[in-house]
Amino acid sequence: MWSHPRRNNPAALVFAGYMEPLRRSDVLVLVPALNEEATVAAVVAGARARLDCDVLVINDGSSDRTTDVALAAGAMVIEHPFNLGVGAAIRTGLRVAASQRRPYVLQLDADGQHEPAEAQRLLDRVQSGDADLVVGSRFQAGYRVSKVRGAMMSALSRVISKRVGVEVDDTTSGFRAFGPKAIALFARYYPTVYLSDTVEALLLASDADLRVEVVPVQMHERQGGEPSSRRLRSALQLTRLWLVILMHPVRRPPIQRGVPDVA
Amino acid sequence: MSLEVFVLVIAFANIAVVLEFVRRRKLAESFALLWSCVAVGGILLVLLRPLIDRFSHFVGVEEGTSVLFALGILFLIVVSMYLSVHITALEDKVEALAEDLAMVKGVRNPPSDAAPPSEDVHQ
Repeated sequence: MWSHPRRNNPAALVFAGYMEPLRRSDVLVLVPALNEEATVAAVVAGARARLDCDVLVINDGSSDRTTDVALAAGAMVIEHPFNLGVGAAIRTGLRVAASQRRPYVLQLDADGQHEPAEAQRLLDRVQSGDADLVVGSRFQAGYRVSKVRGAMMSALSRVISKRVGVEVDDTTSGFRAFGPKAIALFARYYPTVYLSDTVEALLLASDADLRVEVVPVQMHERQGGEPSSRRLRSALQLTRLWLVILMHPVRRPPIQRGVPDVA
Repeated sequence: MSLEVFVLVIAFANIAVVLEFVRRRKLAESFALLWSCVAVGGILLVLLRPLIDRFSHFVGVEEGTSVLFALGILFLIVVSMYLSVHITALEDKVEALAEDLAMVKGVRNPPSDAAPPSEDVHQ
């Protein structure tokens, strides 16, 4: 039977850049970035200084100097050819982590919302082996949102918590730590549309019997960049998200597209 | 009578445009087939006008043209749903390709003179 040469030839995989020989820390910090040249350096420097581990910036099709700035700040960089969304950036980052055999991943926003000093508390839970996916929650530390948004988020929280079996109050938080099982699962498939990358991922984690945990964290106001959506757009995105959530129990599991990575 | 001529002209023009697109390689043959069928359908409708009137009478609609409009709109809805499914598949493929391209191009390592990790952080 005909088979894909790249799938069966490990040497070809190295040649194609699927395996990176360079690897220092067990933890890889993923920073998805879209036009964040103003803030990415501080985020990279903060993560490297406080966590002492390698940082990978996933440049999701920026038109500014995000890549150069991140490299100069000491991060590794992988670039999408055009904008694919945060979820796709995370999946690319998890694929890199898996191919470099890194057991732990921390996801950090490039706009400086997340405090690297708080990250160790998330990582502790996956590094101790007690959890596979840890979500940093903004609420328990007095995160304030508008009334409408608060109502939306608490409705999401109620439904998701029931499905996942763990009380997740901040379902859309992008401040997360991944253990080996979560990396393996999400390197194969990760929802890419905005909001699905955080919320639907929880459902997929629960389907795969991952242990999900929530850890309260402090958050900063955004340091730069535009808030990612306007009112009508967020209404549409939210409606779409509810369709995803309601359909989830009867939907076929997602399939992996593209070339599978090693192991 | 002039309406029939009008529809026939449109239908043949449709076929001509479709064939021209195929000649320029701007339209996949399968789509060409779909839109040619539409044109052929239009011609058949003109030729079988009495049949349509009998059919619409049978389903209880006065005007044959109303039935035609309804069927036409239904057809367009089905076609655009098909196209939406098609686009979804294409988007998935483009996304997979783009991610794979990023992986193949690989990770860029920071230059040796990049900032050391101990650099003082001002938040």
